Amino acid sequence: MRRSTAAAVGTLTGAALIIGVRLSVAAPAVTAAPPPVDLSDTDLAGSEVSDGQAGEAGQPTPSGSGKASKEASGKGSTETSGKQKNKEKEKKPAEPSDGGARQDGPADGVYRGSAVTNPYGTVRVSIKISDGKISAVDATYPTTADSGRINPPAVAALKQETLKAQSADVDAVSGATFTSESYVKSLQAALDSAGA
Amino acid sequence: MRHVEMVMGTAVSIELADPLPDARLRELIGDVCAWLHEVDERFSTYRPDSEVNRLQRGAVRLEDCSADLRDVLGACADLWRSTDGFFDVYATGGLDPSGYVKGWSVEVASARLAAAGARRHHINAGGDVRVRGDAERPWRIGVRHPTEADRVSWVLGVTDGAVATSGRYERGDHVRNPRTGRAACGLASATVVGPDLALADAYATAAIAMGQAGIDWLATRVADGYESAVVTDDGRAYTSAGLPVLS
Repeated sequence: MRRSTAAAVGTLTGAALIIGVRLSVAAPAVTAAPPPVDLSDTDLAGSEVSDGQAGEAGQPTPSGSGKASKEASGKGSTETSGKQKNKEKEKKPAEPSDGGARQDGPADGVYRGSAVTNPYGTVRVSIKISDGKISAVDATYPTTADSGRINPPAVAALKQETLKAQSADVDAVSGATFTSESYVKSLQAALDSAGA
Repeated sequence: MRHVEMVMGTAVSIELADPLPDARLRELIGDVCAWLHEVDERFSTYRPDSEVNRLQRGAVRLEDCSADLRDVLGACADLWRSTDGFFDVYATGGLDPSGYVKGWSVEVASARLAAAGARRHHINAGGDVRVRGDAERPWRIGVRHPTEADRVSWVLGVTDGAVATSGRYERGDHVRNPRTGRAACGLASATVVGPDLALADAYATAAIAMGQAGIDWLATRVADGYESAVVTDDGRAYTSAGLPVLS
């Protein structure tokens, strides 16, 4: 009894504290820009850097799809390629990237997005382009002021790896079915019949 | 004992692995199925008299709704905030909390099974999986490959937790970006692994709606115990550091 009471009180206190923190920081109406990415071109550590302006054309936007981003970047490269090429000249010989030479996509290098502020803090995303494709993504979450209490000190974005296809020696498959029609053909069905 | 039930517009497979008498296992599976059908009747947007639809058309006031529905709507409101609006029960126009309800109902079913003594089991509701078991024998959960339907991209080892995958490969343009109203694009599939299936499912769906930005957003969920794996439209794969990958 006593322990459960204490537990309940503890839980409620915790919840109150969490709510308190939220309220103290909160901006209830989420009208700000969507979460991460608003990329303007800039370089990353160890690569050539072009310091982009926020919202510069041609960079992926938060709601952007891969395709849209790519198209946008492609278009943007016409506008920004001059800048990129200038950067190329300053480039240190150590960087093996074939940079601004590409016509069909963004130049190789590291691009840092402009800082985007949402109600919970400011997010800044960096991407690395290799062979015209994004090869690494990183995001930083400043720990200053209020945001440090809610955002983790630093959140590394997910790490890229190679997509593999393998046969399933599994108990269940996530994502294998959405509808009853497709179920008939699905891997989940095969597993179920195998186990029946 | 294995069972497949067609309910909530999808196939739900249930496996109970505890050495209980067959009659008891059948009874427990029957309880799970009855609960899922009950949820379908109360929350489906396809049934005119469901509680959700009655609330939507104003036939019942929110304060007169069941505690379950009020809890669900409260959780959906929290998700709307935590996803910056990308998880939106009004994304299709009317009230449709089914993106949360399926995972929630399976969570409830799994908890009831455990309480009834069936502690090692898995429930797979149309590709959203909740498992319970013992650490020595983790369940092997495959993550469907986004383009090769009979292959998996990863095999995860999960003892007690949820694995939800949202993908555009089957539902086509089903997932929309609520900000633009257009079909989401950028990510082919997103998988989230964590303690609660309803949240894992909502996070995966929100990431798909975000598109490319979802990769970074999912990274922010790691602090809450939700690991993730993502495949982009152009075939890149991303995983969080703590994803329990077996192979």
